[in-house]
Amino acid sequence: MTERNEGSGVFAGRKLNRRDFLKMGSAGLAGAALLGAAGCGGGSGGSGEIIFSYGPDTDGSIAKLIDKFNKQNKGGIQATHRQMPADTGQYYDKLRTEFQAASGDISVIGVDVIWPKQFAPQNWIIDLSDRFPASEQKKFIPSTIEVASYEDGVYAVPWVSCPDVGLLYYRKDLLEESGISGPPETWDELKEMALQVSEEAGIQNGFIFQGSNYEGGVCNALEYIWTHGGDVLDENNKVVIDSPEAAAGLATYASMVSSGAAPEAVANWTETESSANFYNEDSVFIRYWPSLYGGLGDPETTKLKPEQVGIVPIPTDKPGNPSYSTLGGWQMSINVNTEIEDDAWKFIQFMTSEQSQKTRTIINGGDPSREAVYDDPEAQKATPVIKLADTVLFDNGKSRPVTEYYGDMSLEMAEQFNSVLKGDVSPEEAVKALQESLSQIMEETQ
Amino acid sequence: MSVASASTEKKRRGWFKEEFGDPERRTAYYMVLPSLLIIVIIAFFPILYGIVLSLTDSTIAGFGSFVGLENYTEMFQDPDFLEGLSNTVIFTVVSVALEFIIGLGIALAINRAFRGRGLVRAAVLVPWAFPTVIAAVMWRLMFQSQVGIIQYVASATDIISDPILSSRTLLLIAAILVDVWKTTPFMALLLLAGLQVIPGEVYEAARVDGANVTQRFFRITLPLLKGAILVALLFRTLDAYRVYDLFWVMSNRELQSLSTYVYEGVRISQLQFGPGNAASVFIFVTAFLIALFFIRVLGMRTSAEEE
Amino acid sequence: MASATTTGRTSGRGTLGTVLFYVFLVIFVLVSVFPLLWIFKMSIVSKTELFASPPTILPHTPTSAEYAQIFSDPAFQQALVNSTIISAVTTVICLFFGSLTAYAIARMRFRFKSPIMTLILAISFFPAVAIIAPLFIQYSQVGLINTYASVIITDTVFALPLTIWLLVAFFRELPVDLEDAAKVDGATTIQAFRKVIVPLAAPGVFTTAILTFIFAWNEFLFANTFLLDQATQPVTVAIPNFATVYTVDYGAQAAAAVVVTVPLVILVLIFQRRIVSGLTAGAVKG
Repeated sequence: MTERNEGSGVFAGRKLNRRDFLKMGSAGLAGAALLGAAGCGGGSGGSGEIIFSYGPDTDGSIAKLIDKFNKQNKGGIQATHRQMPADTGQYYDKLRTEFQAASGDISVIGVDVIWPKQFAPQNWIIDLSDRFPASEQKKFIPSTIEVASYEDGVYAVPWVSCPDVGLLYYRKDLLEESGISGPPETWDELKEMALQVSEEAGIQNGFIFQGSNYEGGVCNALEYIWTHGGDVLDENNKVVIDSPEAAAGLATYASMVSSGAAPEAVANWTETESSANFYNEDSVFIRYWPSLYGGLGDPETTKLKPEQVGIVPIPTDKPGNPSYSTLGGWQMSINVNTEIEDDAWKFIQFMTSEQSQKTRTIINGGDPSREAVYDDPEAQKATPVIKLADTVLFDNGKSRPVTEYYGDMSLEMAEQFNSVLKGDVSPEEAVKALQESLSQIMEETQ
Repeated sequence: MSVASASTEKKRRGWFKEEFGDPERRTAYYMVLPSLLIIVIIAFFPILYGIVLSLTDSTIAGFGSFVGLENYTEMFQDPDFLEGLSNTVIFTVVSVALEFIIGLGIALAINRAFRGRGLVRAAVLVPWAFPTVIAAVMWRLMFQSQVGIIQYVASATDIISDPILSSRTLLLIAAILVDVWKTTPFMALLLLAGLQVIPGEVYEAARVDGANVTQRFFRITLPLLKGAILVALLFRTLDAYRVYDLFWVMSNRELQSLSTYVYEGVRISQLQFGPGNAASVFIFVTAFLIALFFIRVLGMRTSAEEE
Repeated sequence: MASATTTGRTSGRGTLGTVLFYVFLVIFVLVSVFPLLWIFKMSIVSKTELFASPPTILPHTPTSAEYAQIFSDPAFQQALVNSTIISAVTTVICLFFGSLTAYAIARMRFRFKSPIMTLILAISFFPAVAIIAPLFIQYSQVGLINTYASVIITDTVFALPLTIWLLVAFFRELPVDLEDAAKVDGATTIQAFRKVIVPLAAPGVFTTAILTFIFAWNEFLFANTFLLDQATQPVTVAIPNFATVYTVDYGAQAAAAVVVTVPLVILVLIFQRRIVSGLTAGAVKG
């Protein structure tokens, strides 16, 4: 800023020279320091480190495993965990941004099971078929390999927890008191028992689940559609949701609330509300993920003891029909932009090995994807649900209809399913509307 | 505008030299320039870019090809957009009306000394101090079906039996209430300041002339308050029209407004980028028209006329 | 600042009127303050009491566990740091550019004052959501996504009208010949500036700083759009997302809301006179 000569009213020029010089100085320094600090948020891995992206390591199992890997790999390349948002939507957003910027920072990506089929068509993750042959794949639960596959390749290695499946929990003690011989097998039985037991035992809610307008709601509703024989896409990725079976499934879904077996509030409940309600001993039945079991017997979480709660597969429409549970969980992929593919693979091999999966299952309580770990007595003791629910985990997991634009499809389905639950639209209207909107989206994919 | 008329006295050719030749004036322009530059680069240039984008089939990943008004037709046929539009209009009209009426009432009521005036003013500012997002989180907790006090009271007294957070109608009403809670104080303050400028003698004279309360209010207070009222109304209307934080956080994406529609289109979904951009331009144009309406039609003065 | 004297016009209301008046005031104060109190209660009760139905009015099982939890949560600490940095830097930059501009507009003569003021005013009407897509694209191209800079720059633009508006009003209040009078008395320009202008302008600048800081602190849309993870997200984005992979923690959300809001409320209460005068100065004099 140049000094100005004296002149009328030019006090302004002088005064602000001084003042804004000070301000400029401080602003500049502050700004520069912060932009500098902010610019290099996280540091670049490049070829010096294996960066593994995943959500928060709430129980320390990731840190423990990475520690072990680094010790084993002493002198070689080290690995580190880069923490991602707890909210999977945000995590997904972040990954998309990184991919679009062709950034090779993150080498190993912890992926939600619905991501490989979205990332692979865009060539964002690597086909691991040559490193991960069929002989190896056999050691994992088949449904977990299915979600990782796209066209002829396999794009992720299943980890823990995977598969995460929907289960039906019930209060064994309350059912006994009501003189009911066993848990329900069909949806109608569930409704009856829910109404009966909740009334007799004076419990607030018969049956609760996650019906809010979000991804979890999609997971819930799909189980009804599948167990009635309907589906969203067929093997050729054609949209087939407009079918009497699917409509029947959604009708059952809505009837849970309209019959009074489930409270109206489930239409805006997610995992938080539903688990809190069950832990508070306010419901007889709940549809939830395997993680619910770990809270039983922990006095800080609930007064319920494990002996009071039983687990069965998701009900079906007619006895003897196959049960399906929506498949969730986490896997590991390699970023196509990484410069250290071999090291990344080494890391994945380590983390998905039998030993590592066992460690994580024991600490984290998630279910392993390797079938061998299920037979390990230590794992069974630490995480009883894997034994209790093993048939469901092994056989009933079904993948959501994931394609390139699953995000948009999910938004449509979440809204329609939620409207059906609230009684705003009829199941027939919903499946027709979805047939149209999903077909439009599918037209955009190759 | 006296500055302009003063300058027009000079010869036309001379104004350029007068403006930029005079060192003092040049300094003034230098001082103003940085702000203007930032504003133009960050706000106005992107809007132009946005208009261009809205006429193409681009996605967030790459620039697309020209498609004319296709995005706009898609947008106008999208039920989500129409829902957002109707929610936004209802929200704007109702909440601004309520805030104005209640705010004016409060301003009139506390426009005199009384005990506890400081306390009231403090209480008035508390809702205003909340970040909108935090207020939304708080109220959502209170409306929540399990831990929420309001849901509990409403159900217990049989006013409402549905879960508030499930019904779009109830959510809209809830949003209006929260906005009124949060912003009425601000309205009241603005109007109060306007009231306090009115000299007491004017009222005395009117009372002497035999005017009653109503007449004094409508013939004296309102006209003298017109400037402050219009400013307050314009700002609040445009604020309400742009509502995003409140809807997004309090309803957990359930309730749609124009702004949430845009956000969903350009940041969440992958295929709705085009209509999302079209909606951006739509909001911009309509907001501009609203402001124009206030300034031209209702005769609001902008604060530049001061020399 | 309008004086606090009475301009009581309606006289002779009588006792009933006065009682009603005070009842109305009490209700008004309660409604304004109730949510904060309730959320505070939610933040100090145990988890089981939180879900009790019917909800308890007074806490039965008070605990500070929620506060302990959030204060030991690195994500929350980081969010507080992020908010502070973003707001502080935005305020400094706004004051810098804003005071230049405001001084020019308030104290100097030049031709295009009116259009310039209109342009600046137009920003306060500007629907920010309309530019998040183009800005996101542009910021990505220069690598600013997920850095403080993206939000600071954008917040500055949208805070500038407020800053300028306030400072113009404050500068206009300063006596016109102040600078010249000081110089006539023998002060050098710098001395006049330091000893005369600064003390007089300081309260105005200070108030403007507070209001700008609050504005930046409350900002959500840009932070939500441009900042993608915990390292950079401010409290406005972090608190609604107080979640683990599986659940939302209501008690922690309540505690975090209290922690974030109480300093603001205290700040506002301490400086309420200044704030009110600042906010209303522009409206009334404009």
